[in-house]
Amino acid sequence: MIGRKHIPHYAMVLPFMALFATFFLYPIASGLYYSFFDWNASSRARFVGFDNYQHIVASRDFHDAMINLAAYVSITVPLGITVAFGLALLVDSFKGVWAHFFRTIFFVPVVLPAFLAATIWRWIYAPNFGLLNMILGWMGVPSVSFLNNTGTMLYALIAVDVWVSAGFNMVIILAGLKNIPGHYYEAARLDGATKLQQVIYITIPMLYPVLFFVVTYGFISALQVFDIPWLLTGSSFAAYGGRQRALLFPVMDMMGRGFGGLHFGQASAYGFILTMVIVLITAGLFAFGRGRFAQ
Amino acid sequence: MNIAPRLGMASVLALVLSAGAALAADQVTLQYWVYSDFAEGDALKLQQQFIAEFEKAHPGVKIVISGKGDDDLTTGEVTGAASGNPPDVFMNGLPFGAQLVEAGALDNVYAKWMAMPQEFRDQFDKDAIASCSPKPQTMYCLPYTGFNELLFRNLTVLKQAGIDTSTPPKDWAEWFEQMKKVKAAGKSAMPDQTQVFNSVASTYSIVGPHEEWGIDFATKKTKINPESYEKALQLFVDMKPLASGTSRNDQATKDLFITDQLAFHVVGPWVDPTYHQAAQVSGLKYDFVLVPGANPGQYAGIKAYEILGVAPGKHADVAWQFAAYVSDKPQMLRWAKLLSRYNANAAAMSDPEVARLPLIAKSVEAVKHGLDVKPPYFVGAYPNCYNSIVTDNAAAVADGKTTPADGAKSLVKDLNDCIAGN
Repeated sequence: MIGRKHIPHYAMVLPFMALFATFFLYPIASGLYYSFFDWNASSRARFVGFDNYQHIVASRDFHDAMINLAAYVSITVPLGITVAFGLALLVDSFKGVWAHFFRTIFFVPVVLPAFLAATIWRWIYAPNFGLLNMILGWMGVPSVSFLNNTGTMLYALIAVDVWVSAGFNMVIILAGLKNIPGHYYEAARLDGATKLQQVIYITIPMLYPVLFFVVTYGFISALQVFDIPWLLTGSSFAAYGGRQRALLFPVMDMMGRGFGGLHFGQASAYGFILTMVIVLITAGLFAFGRGRFAQ
Repeated sequence: MNIAPRLGMASVLALVLSAGAALAADQVTLQYWVYSDFAEGDALKLQQQFIAEFEKAHPGVKIVISGKGDDDLTTGEVTGAASGNPPDVFMNGLPFGAQLVEAGALDNVYAKWMAMPQEFRDQFDKDAIASCSPKPQTMYCLPYTGFNELLFRNLTVLKQAGIDTSTPPKDWAEWFEQMKKVKAAGKSAMPDQTQVFNSVASTYSIVGPHEEWGIDFATKKTKINPESYEKALQLFVDMKPLASGTSRNDQATKDLFITDQLAFHVVGPWVDPTYHQAAQVSGLKYDFVLVPGANPGQYAGIKAYEILGVAPGKHADVAWQFAAYVSDKPQMLRWAKLLSRYNANAAAMSDPEVARLPLIAKSVEAVKHGLDVKPPYFVGAYPNCYNSIVTDNAAAVADGKTTPADGAKSLVKDLNDCIAGN
């Protein structure tokens, strides 16, 4: 039974819970419900059981999207965090104006609208005339069609993604670095520890909670990747994923099925599958993290 | 505590609110969704002028215009229809018509159309009206603006390649010879035409029969004939070494054209303002001509119309009146004069003042030869896999991974599988 003294507490969490239930729990429950129906948004929904799930899992696009996603996540998350960590160490080594300058410079891609970032990178990647191909040309390397060659498309995307996300992760890691007491490093230096040893034995362990957050957030974001590959490949609801679906990802496929094909039941099932994947991976990360914290 | 003053205030408030509610009941607010470039700069000012005129003639009607990107228009119209709160009057492209009908976003305006004076109905392009009317007593849109591709030529690049620019290439063979000369002069001839569905369709239109393009929804098969399509695929192979590698929609393509690195750009007239500005600012020398066809006297390029749709519901009548107003000749005439852009109002296009505008004159001529991008309209939705299969196939052939003959055969099979699996 709720004691009277707890009522103000519940009242304070009520606005959040109301919004959370309306914009998070209800859409998930609604998505789960519609995932069992054949529904095109206008006609009466027809119950089809698990047909939507079977149809999706058996489809070529789902298969391609999941393989692309696995490759993308396994590279972009560790690479992105490593770059962000390196940038944070670099910025932390500066003082005063230069620290502000580099922090701002590295953060700019985060605030850049996605379409602008994609436009810039489409120019950089352009065959023959793009900045990257000009540099390669000076070195005698023939022009590469980064966004149309299925062997390079994923890496081209990862480079953009790391460029966009590194600044955000850098700021978080930088805040963590500022909280590490200086006397740890002082003691290490007195004991003759090198810079690398200080990073490995002091910085990383002390940053563990921050890194855990960055890794978890990185996984959740990467699993939902959508806007950058959508824009880099010039996708629309009529065609998406780039050449031979090399940059097709689950959220793109889900959106295409929903708004391109009006198969909202399939799109709901897709969304629910993806939600489950994200929940399972996040739960796994938390379980792993709890074990580490316990140590 | 004396509650009388409070009761008095509450009574006044209730009266005001009820009066407001009565007033609101007489007010109709229409949501009018347009492409984002219709809601910017001079185009927006003119649209606002149309709205003000309509509101003045229809007291109690208020129209709110919103500009949206291509995908946002479709998602908004579909979700709006699903939630029972669609925009009242809206634009989209003809190729999305079938999806909008399936989603219940479009009202059948046939009765309203037939109730309009004959003079009103006669002013539109006949083909465009036919596109909106998939079967008897059915009409899902008013054709609004539109385009047919033109061949934009960079005259500086062509002159550097030793090409006489006084007359446009008369056919594909002559055009292709010019492309080779451009490449020999160290410039790019064309964008990569395999990257975008519309540029594949455009290239097909050079050599392929129009009646063999699209889906036969009765048999659920593609209409593409592998023998005809093989000729189109050969064009991609021929153009591959001459191309810039950028797609026709890339900003890089426009930049290459403006900086005298690219000779030809087959695209709609929407690039003209950019090129026109470059001509004034940086001295770009360019013109636009009809896209050459396979033989002299034949022309190519794709055409499409942006449509005005009306949502079913209680505001459908007044929404139709507004759609009819903005697509009527006086408005389309002002639109054409302001933007120098083609639209589906044939009467406006034939007005002497408009007909002599070069871009419109060329577009009016080009539309007669244009290939519909995704026919038939409002009959069935093209499956999601369709576009990707077409572009992937063209790219594979251009890259030499398969021959045009084999590519054409496998395309038809893949497209039929895609249609059957939808």
